[in-house]
Amino acid sequence: MDENLLIGIYGSIGMLVMVLIGVRVFAAAALTGLLGCVAILGWDAGAGIVGTIPHSKAVNYALSVLPMFVLIGFIAYHAGLTHALFDAAKAWFGWVPGGLAVATVFATAGFAAVSGASTATAAVFTRVAIPHMLENGYDRRLAAGVVAAGGTLASLIPPSAILVVYALIVEQSVGALLLAGFIPGVVSAIIYAMLIVGQCVLRPELGRPIKSPPLVQRFKTLPPITPVIAVVGIIFYSMYSGKATPTEAGALGAFVVFVIALFRGMTVGNIMDALLETAKLTVMIFSLVWGVLIFVRFLGFAGLPQAFAEWIVALPLPPLAIMVLILLAYTILGMFMDAIGMLLLTLPVVYPAVIALGYHPIWFGIIVVKMCEVCLITPPVGLNCYVVHAVRPDIPLGDVFRGIGPFFGADVATLALFIAFPEIILWLPRFEGMGAS
Amino acid sequence: MAITETSRLTSGDILLSRIDEYLFKIESLFNLIAGVVIFLTMCLGVIQVVGRSFFNQPVPAYVDIIELMMATFAFLGISYCQKLGGHVRMEIVLKQFKGRAFWIAEVIGTLVMMWIIAILMIYGYEHFLRAFELGDSTIDGDYPLWPSKLVVPVAFGLLMCRLTVNLWGFVRLVIRPNAEPIGIPVLETVDDQAEHEIRTSGLGDEAITERSLRQRQGAE
Repeated sequence: MDENLLIGIYGSIGMLVMVLIGVRVFAAAALTGLLGCVAILGWDAGAGIVGTIPHSKAVNYALSVLPMFVLIGFIAYHAGLTHALFDAAKAWFGWVPGGLAVATVFATAGFAAVSGASTATAAVFTRVAIPHMLENGYDRRLAAGVVAAGGTLASLIPPSAILVVYALIVEQSVGALLLAGFIPGVVSAIIYAMLIVGQCVLRPELGRPIKSPPLVQRFKTLPPITPVIAVVGIIFYSMYSGKATPTEAGALGAFVVFVIALFRGMTVGNIMDALLETAKLTVMIFSLVWGVLIFVRFLGFAGLPQAFAEWIVALPLPPLAIMVLILLAYTILGMFMDAIGMLLLTLPVVYPAVIALGYHPIWFGIIVVKMCEVCLITPPVGLNCYVVHAVRPDIPLGDVFRGIGPFFGADVATLALFIAFPEIILWLPRFEGMGAS
Repeated sequence: MAITETSRLTSGDILLSRIDEYLFKIESLFNLIAGVVIFLTMCLGVIQVVGRSFFNQPVPAYVDIIELMMATFAFLGISYCQKLGGHVRMEIVLKQFKGRAFWIAEVIGTLVMMWIIAILMIYGYEHFLRAFELGDSTIDGDYPLWPSKLVVPVAFGLLMCRLTVNLWGFVRLVIRPNAEPIGIPVLETVDDQAEHEIRTSGLGDEAITERSLRQRQGAE
């Protein structure tokens, strides 16, 4: 075997060991990258190249969209969207079987889209929606499950930071990824809603419809949710028309939410907190990006991604079976690791293999991000379930996990749907002439 | 750690705690600067879109300015994030270790970080020095690049200080595994993590957990 390739394999194993013993992922990736480059190129050339990567890779205009999307998330709550969304969703969908749970799905989808944070969405809707559902005699497990699952819709509907990270790492159009996420996000929400309606038709005691207000009242619930429509609309329109870069669209979206939040009484203290948290999450993502890019540089010199891709293609298995195996590996990894960390760590090796198998880069991005979200509701970690339990300790963790079961099933079905019909994902970006290959 | 020896703080412990506290003040300031720059990036983006769309007057060298600003939010908060345990890691194996073994693993992890950050700090400084001496500048606006490159060794320097404090804190716990943890990053269980997500999401009382509510009532 080629000596560089061998260094690549040993390096990757070394990095995995470091990650397993709890070394911060960005540091493990960067150190492996540095040592690997030095082993292949010698100290001066290797360390010289690696030493410039943090600045040269992080200071890249394309990445400046990330803090904008993160900022939108941290001020979204102050724009008073949660109650507005739930009231609107209740008014429009309350009449169907399991109406309050269906309303929760759409309200969480709306809030998650803007906030981009699954766990935060689950937390806030545990307070906003669960009491309503329990007062109306809804099943406790269903109520907890729908809130924990609803939060996972965050990553697909734009604005989505994780889709941006994917696009940048695999060098695809950020705009195409953001557009591509929209329909799968909406489809996921509709499948959740159908699941609830189906369950409640079969077992009405799980959740009964509520009386809907007259049409005039229903329309009155719409103006307060305009910030959500504005943010998703701005991002969508900018990508669709090409009139603004993702950063500019993100800045505009953040500004709209910020102004509304100011009118709704956001204080200077709230702003400071939001900025501190935004900066912290931003630096976390940036550190991962440059750390992993050092590792990627080493992998490139070692020729590992190409070798892995050739090995995968030569396997005596159909591409679909390999894809299922890859997704299973992600499910397992995702149970133990943060989504962005997992994606960044694995994509440099997995992505070229997936492309060599003939899959579309944008399609795979949506599939893998959806997969990461599913991991937020799977035991043993399933952070969203812990969040629901933390806010409402009277709902046992076991009940939350049992409540999430059907939604997990729905997610598997949704993924199968996306695999069987890739056009659900690719239609919109293709329609816009993006990623048409 | 079930039993802590809170009453037995040595003078070394008190010194460590003080350094930790002062360092966190500097880290918070750096992180706040990063946050404010993010806010300014938002403002500049809005000015750019409005200027270009309505007045046919885009911000000159807009991309250059954004890229120069980016070094602050890409690096300055790195140490603050470390203090608060914000950098991603996998804890499933680590949590199987108990007592001294756990703290030894943390010492190894900290040493690994110090190794890479020290090298990147030195080479980052050289990268800055070259830009400074050669008068490197941006393409469009011809703005000097060295201030942006200087941010990297400065931020990594602060992170090295933080990692040194962390190392001291972990070595202390290796020697006295039941002592009260001082000077180490925030360690979170899944429950804590859930709590933290809720606390930092800006959701206020809307999503307050029962645990925080009880703590608050207890304090009153």
